[in-house]
Amino acid sequence: MAENLLEVNNLKKYFPVKAGIFKRTVDYVKAVDDISFAVKKGETLGLVGESGCGKSTTGRTILRLLEATAGEVIFEGKSVMDLDKKDLRAIRRDMQIIFQDPYASLNPRMTVADIVGEPLIIHKLVENKEEKNERVKEILENVGMGEEYMNRYPHEFSGGQRQRIGVARALAVDPKLIIADEPVSALDVSVQAQVINLLQDLQKEFGLTYLFIAHDLSVVKHISDRVAVMYLGKIVELTDKKELFKNPIHPYTQSLLSAIPEADPRKKKDRIILEGDVPSPVDPPSGCRFHPRCPKAFDPCPKVEPEFKEYGAEHFVACHLLDK
Amino acid sequence: MAEKLVEVKNLKTYFYVEEGVVKAVDGVDFEIYPGETLGVVGESGCGKSVTSLSIMRLVESPPGRIEAGEINFGGRDLTKIPEKEMRKIRGNDISMIFQEPMTSLNPVYTVGDQIMEAIILHKQVDRKEARRQAIDMLTKVGIPLPEQRVDEYPHQLSGGMRQRVMIAMALSCDPQLLIADEPTTALDVTIQAQILELMNSLKESYGMSIMMITHDLGVIAEVSDRVAVMYAGKVVEYTDVNTLFEDPKHPYTWGLMNSIPKLDKDVDRLEAIPGSVPSPLNFPDGCKFNTRCPLAEGKCYDQEPPLEDADGNHMVRCWRYKDLEEIKKRGERIYEDRGVQK
Repeated sequence: MAENLLEVNNLKKYFPVKAGIFKRTVDYVKAVDDISFAVKKGETLGLVGESGCGKSTTGRTILRLLEATAGEVIFEGKSVMDLDKKDLRAIRRDMQIIFQDPYASLNPRMTVADIVGEPLIIHKLVENKEEKNERVKEILENVGMGEEYMNRYPHEFSGGQRQRIGVARALAVDPKLIIADEPVSALDVSVQAQVINLLQDLQKEFGLTYLFIAHDLSVVKHISDRVAVMYLGKIVELTDKKELFKNPIHPYTQSLLSAIPEADPRKKKDRIILEGDVPSPVDPPSGCRFHPRCPKAFDPCPKVEPEFKEYGAEHFVACHLLDK
Repeated sequence: MAEKLVEVKNLKTYFYVEEGVVKAVDGVDFEIYPGETLGVVGESGCGKSVTSLSIMRLVESPPGRIEAGEINFGGRDLTKIPEKEMRKIRGNDISMIFQEPMTSLNPVYTVGDQIMEAIILHKQVDRKEARRQAIDMLTKVGIPLPEQRVDEYPHQLSGGMRQRVMIAMALSCDPQLLIADEPTTALDVTIQAQILELMNSLKESYGMSIMMITHDLGVIAEVSDRVAVMYAGKVVEYTDVNTLFEDPKHPYTWGLMNSIPKLDKDVDRLEAIPGSVPSPLNFPDGCKFNTRCPLAEGKCYDQEPPLEDADGNHMVRCWRYKDLEEIKKRGERIYEDRGVQK
């Protein structure tokens, strides 16, 4: 089996809730609350969940764009949390991120050549301007864009092209891990497929490892090798993608899968419709966080938090039903 | 088939802006029958929302204008009647719900006040009766503790609840047609499932028609009886939902269906449609899909294909749909790989 490129152990990220004129901290939003997983070299791990489940916060905390409250992140055997500023910058060469909104994540005053070339300069990968432009041309070619685009500005491009530029920027420093935070959800359906295909091609060509964060289960299923399902700051299920979609164990995963409208009018699904909304992460429910909405909740669920443990080979679930 | 509830004929809605004329809707025809759901699917900028705003006569003018065409509803052409008449129809016979419930609800009024406004205006009842009806509507759309919720403000409700309030408001006057413009796009999938189920059950109990506008083929398959696929201001394919998904005849529809990953089928690569939607200021000559269509040739570049009937009740706007048929029979892909272009 491939070795782990990234390990996340007991990661927590709490955001303080401040109130009153002195802005005292009155409570915490437990955005990510004690999650552990590993990403193997060369694989794509999908991280899926609904809005507010903490999936994006997880991605940002791994890169230390947000400082973790507790826990550790180990990249190639090195603890990312302990690095000083200089070493952190060095390790960010190996870990890059692609953002959801290709309109907000590109500086409108920079040309494509500057956007894609900036990381090259920051990491001192090029000596001079000619070398930079040469390299930028090469990278743009890798994402399916010609050199004629180099001196244009972001507003001149469509959403799909902008996302290609975002991918090119991440790719510029030759990273090992790319955290893709909802990279296609702002794009039109027909363009989504272009970017997904591109990400897959680049993975093959450069041996990249992806942490692919998304809310769209069908996209996650298509691109991932393994999938982790998050709910309210916790991972509730983690396994191989085939296993997850064939044999989902956690009631949340089951209802999530059944809720997706499928593009097949003849298929009438037995839908598990969940009641109510996702509770607030400021004051999450006791015990299992899913219990107020869970159709199968029983005695221990509101009292005891279920352990995240291996159920079958490489199939991790946090649910009391397994002990029943 | 039953008599048509709405008949849209050759509708053209243009926007006159500094850069030129945006032909957002450029000759759209469709019908909606009583009790059915017509799905309108297309990507951003295809004109699906402007079509629905035109039916409601809510196109901002200037810069927008209904340039030509008819919208026949209840024996009248909605493009011709005076605003005063239209006001009686809007919210009463035809109502609409939008994608983002927070921006369509007024934050400084309670949800009760907002539902009551429509009831008082159209049904001529007093406040007490209107309030009773508002609470009744909130119950029908599945809002828990409606007596309490009726006095709350929109910000006190979650996204799913707000969309339920919007639906309550839209249905309070018992409309014959509900236009839903991407009603679940801003919602999480488990909440989306709740809202779609609610809409389906309300449609049955109210016997109304729904025009469901969305970019999501999954939602279309789920709720529609018939579907119109739009591209660049025109309907390119129009048929019943089963036929559309089993036998898409337009290369665009075909591409859309193959570009989304399926839950029950594994493919190594998605079939991506190359390029992106052309700018509405500058549509190409001939078929508007010709900049992205792998089948485009000769005629496609200078003559616009008509919306013609391919085989009884299956309308398609393509010169080469018969050739696509052959390709499909051979089981080939029509879109080449556009991941990395070398």
